[in-house]
Amino acid sequence: MRDEICEIFSVNSTAELPTVGIEASEVRDSRYIGKPLLRPEDKKLLTGRGRYVDDVQLPNMVWCAFVRSPHSHALMNSISTDAASKAPGVLRVITAEDWAAAGMGELTVVHPMPFSDGRPMNAATRPVFASNKVNHVGDIIAAVVATTRVEAQNAVEMVEVDYEELPSVTDVAKALDTDAPLVHEQFGSNAVFEVHKGDEAAVLDALAKAYKVVELPLCSNRIGANPIEPRSYACSYDESDDRYTLYACSQQPHYLRRWLAVYALFIPEHKLQVISPNVGGSFGVKGNFPVEVATVVWASKLVGRPVKWTATRSESMMSDTQARDHFTLAKMGFDKDGHIVGMYVDTMAALGAYLSNFAPSIPGNSYPQTVTGLYKTPKVFLRVRGVYTNTIPVDAYRGSGRPEATWVNERLVENGARELGINVVELRKRNLIGPEDFPYKTLISRTYDSGNPPLLLEKLLDIAQYEKLLEQQRAARAQGKLMGIGLACFLDKAGTGPSANLASRGGLHGGYETAVIRVHSDGKVSLFAGTHCHGQGHQITYAAIAAERMGIDITHIHVVEGDTDRIPFGNGTWGGRSVSVAGTAILKAANEIMLKVRRIASHVLKCGDSQLVYSTSEFKSPDGKSIGFAAIADLAYHGANLPVDAGFTPGLEATSFYDPPDSNDPQAMHLAVVEIDKDTGVVSIKKYFTADDCGNLINPMIVEGQVHGGLAQGIGQALMENIVYDDNSGQLTTGSFMDYAMPRADSMPPLKSTFIQTPAPSNPLGAKGASESGTIGAPAAIGNAVVDALWHLGVRHITMPITSEKVWRAMRSVRN
Amino acid sequence: MYGVEYRRASSVAEALQLLESNPDAKLLAGGQSLIAAMKLRLSAPSMLVDLGALKELGAIAVSDTSVTLGAMVRHAQVAESSEICTAIPALSSLAKGVGDHMVRNMGTIGGSVANNDPAADYPSALLALDALVKTTKRAIAAEDFFLGMYETALEPGEIIVSIRLRNPARARYMKFKNPASRFAMVGVFIADFGDESRVAVTGAASSVFRVAEMEAALSRNFDAASLDGISISPNDLASDLHSQADYRAHLIEVLARRAVIDMTEAAASA
Repeated sequence: MRDEICEIFSVNSTAELPTVGIEASEVRDSRYIGKPLLRPEDKKLLTGRGRYVDDVQLPNMVWCAFVRSPHSHALMNSISTDAASKAPGVLRVITAEDWAAAGMGELTVVHPMPFSDGRPMNAATRPVFASNKVNHVGDIIAAVVATTRVEAQNAVEMVEVDYEELPSVTDVAKALDTDAPLVHEQFGSNAVFEVHKGDEAAVLDALAKAYKVVELPLCSNRIGANPIEPRSYACSYDESDDRYTLYACSQQPHYLRRWLAVYALFIPEHKLQVISPNVGGSFGVKGNFPVEVATVVWASKLVGRPVKWTATRSESMMSDTQARDHFTLAKMGFDKDGHIVGMYVDTMAALGAYLSNFAPSIPGNSYPQTVTGLYKTPKVFLRVRGVYTNTIPVDAYRGSGRPEATWVNERLVENGARELGINVVELRKRNLIGPEDFPYKTLISRTYDSGNPPLLLEKLLDIAQYEKLLEQQRAARAQGKLMGIGLACFLDKAGTGPSANLASRGGLHGGYETAVIRVHSDGKVSLFAGTHCHGQGHQITYAAIAAERMGIDITHIHVVEGDTDRIPFGNGTWGGRSVSVAGTAILKAANEIMLKVRRIASHVLKCGDSQLVYSTSEFKSPDGKSIGFAAIADLAYHGANLPVDAGFTPGLEATSFYDPPDSNDPQAMHLAVVEIDKDTGVVSIKKYFTADDCGNLINPMIVEGQVHGGLAQGIGQALMENIVYDDNSGQLTTGSFMDYAMPRADSMPPLKSTFIQTPAPSNPLGAKGASESGTIGAPAAIGNAVVDALWHLGVRHITMPITSEKVWRAMRSVRN
Repeated sequence: MYGVEYRRASSVAEALQLLESNPDAKLLAGGQSLIAAMKLRLSAPSMLVDLGALKELGAIAVSDTSVTLGAMVRHAQVAESSEICTAIPALSSLAKGVGDHMVRNMGTIGGSVANNDPAADYPSALLALDALVKTTKRAIAAEDFFLGMYETALEPGEIIVSIRLRNPARARYMKFKNPASRFAMVGVFIADFGDESRVAVTGAASSVFRVAEMEAALSRNFDAASLDGISISPNDLASDLHSQADYRAHLIEVLARRAVIDMTEAAASA
């Protein structure tokens, strides 16, 4: 594996692998890897020529619309669809009764999370149609298929439901109260699971003996991804070959096909083609099994015409899975020198009214894995309780568990340093895992693979000119201005694998990825990958890996994703996995191609393999003869003059299924500089700095863009985004952008990013996930900066989102 | 959106006639509130009577004493007019800050004041600038025009023709934006006419209102110090997801003070 990385980075020994900086010159002699190459798809996507699901127009297509619950919790005494069925244009009305009568299945949970004592979790999967009882605003009661969208929407209003409202619980912190209304009575509690990790007694003992213990209530606000493109599905059923073609905005078309085929609709997989074209933002919300898609597919057969559904924005807000929503009480103990001696975390995590398919493992598995971050925390105990509330189901959203973990860890560390009177940077340095500590075995989770946190901190402080910032802060404070500097150091977790490890936790999917490299007869290449690109720039990144390895021009490679009839079975794009896992599959397929190409070259040039020199797409033999890559491809398909080795076949194509031996552990640190308006409480981020270690960078420009995009969302969570349910009625108060605040261009501060590159040991590219660090670190860095700005006034903590009103109240509370 | 009949009026008289014969018809000015409400099925007029073609409602007239804006004058026109900027710069800056480019290009002053959204910007300007709303039936002082949340003195079948605003010696509009909608969470418009000052507040209550105590203090002495000791009662102010009433009350005090400081400093440096 080391040889492969040496080859691709054109370096001679492992000792000379690039480890610091992203300058292209450091990836010596590479043509494409490590270069900030532009994304060819930008031209199309930025000029409005992308093709999204809602752009798909099929002949005779009709529309689907859904009847959704206006109540957070209610019994349904009766449902009458008579009037709707007779409404103009209506072709079909579908309810839970029809679904059950047809013997359809259910949406599946692919990552279960049992109780720590071995009991299975209390599983209530998201129903395609609610029957008897609705459990959240937006719960689906019926679907109407009509010839036009307006007719479908009109008929939706004619479905009569006799509701009997029930008391509801929407606040995660109240879900396990003894008098809390039960979302699912059959479980006798709102608990989904309860996991314990670590030695509770040892931690309590360490905290009892600690020099200083910091305790904080730490809420992670519920937020939504709100991609620009609302979810959309269009499906046609062709009776003549009994086959479905589904256009779906999906991060993982093969999973979607499998879920629909195997769990919900029982369609043979070869009879269902899933195409996921351009997707306008996903962030996890287009990665789970969406409740509407099964209906759209089924309805296309029922009515014998193509059926489309595209969410309205209001519908997105009451049906897209939501995220975060933790309530945590946590303690951290320190010795007198500021070393962490123990950490105690007790978290309640809302999963919504039903389990979306990845939901339980996010707080149950991902969150604990990163809760101690980059610090050597010698003792830790963690209790996580997943709970049902009468809210829209929660699932993965960029960061998934790590922003919540980092908020907990970094707020405790920050306050610990302050209460001990130790400089916040110094205390962090004393606790950071050192480069010599890797691989670093944590107490409650995985072994972190590689990294250099002290160097990362040094680089961050360097680009931020930290000493100068401190001077500016002193000067600002002397003028009565409130300036704050906040840090967050954290660990991501990416490229989940191997598959057997996932399976050991009950996971119902793999961690591998697939690639097919098809060299055409003219030497040009189609590259098929099992991942899906929805803004990450796979075309240029994948092509760079393949072109570098095959020594061909990058423009000779076309990347194909997102069509189950064309690509090999893949696990899709999520969790920062595409480059480390699919990139390696591509590298391996390219290796296979090059073995064959080299064999043909040696055969044609009549010289030994080892005597061939390959450069600029051409093999040269010692006697001066040469043959190019394209000519070899031509020979491979012509078939007339090929080696006669046993098993040697015509053609030039390779398929690779690559299962990573391990996940990888990207690390990053953020520094936020804020200014607070002392009259109004408005927090302005003046500057923002990031230092990331996501291993070797294939395209540093795309990686930097990923960091920036994530930051926008992290800043959103920190300062403004918040999904609110009315405490009494359970109504979704933030049902539109009039009330749900999204970050805009003017919310973004000047950003500066730097990178170190500690290669991941588990894949030959040395790549680690790079897509989620922005959302993970920003809440904690900004929260710590706000606390820094206000600490001298007496403010000790602030809750998210850090709105101006909250800051004003915090300042007022310490003044009085 | 439900189905709706669309008619483009070719004269004010025709618009009036269409309104009269269609009780469930609504006037369409810039459509920036109405169309959004219709798309959400919160509003279902039987007919839309589009005023967009009526040049007679689109005039801008600026004199030494007043600015008169036709009901169909778009926010962008107000923002871009150099004459208005000379006469009442605060009105230009208010218009520049309404919504986004689309809202400013389509939205009209007549539509805004007829809608009387409690968080709209223009009502505060009308109240502070002692405006007169001229309709097809009469002239209504701003003071008598804004009655409550989304409620005005307009009667059925009455169309705003123009709005005349009095030129102040100086004025400022300070807006604290709602972080989600970017409407005014609190907007304070202060106008100094030399012998009299007016302070109007939008966004903070069910409808725009004046602050008598501030007006009296500033009329006596137009200086930020005059506002010392004046506190706004949160009692009649709005509490919602984004701000409790006491924070809004506080913001009114802060914004008023900032507006006055800004105006007096500008005068001092002039």
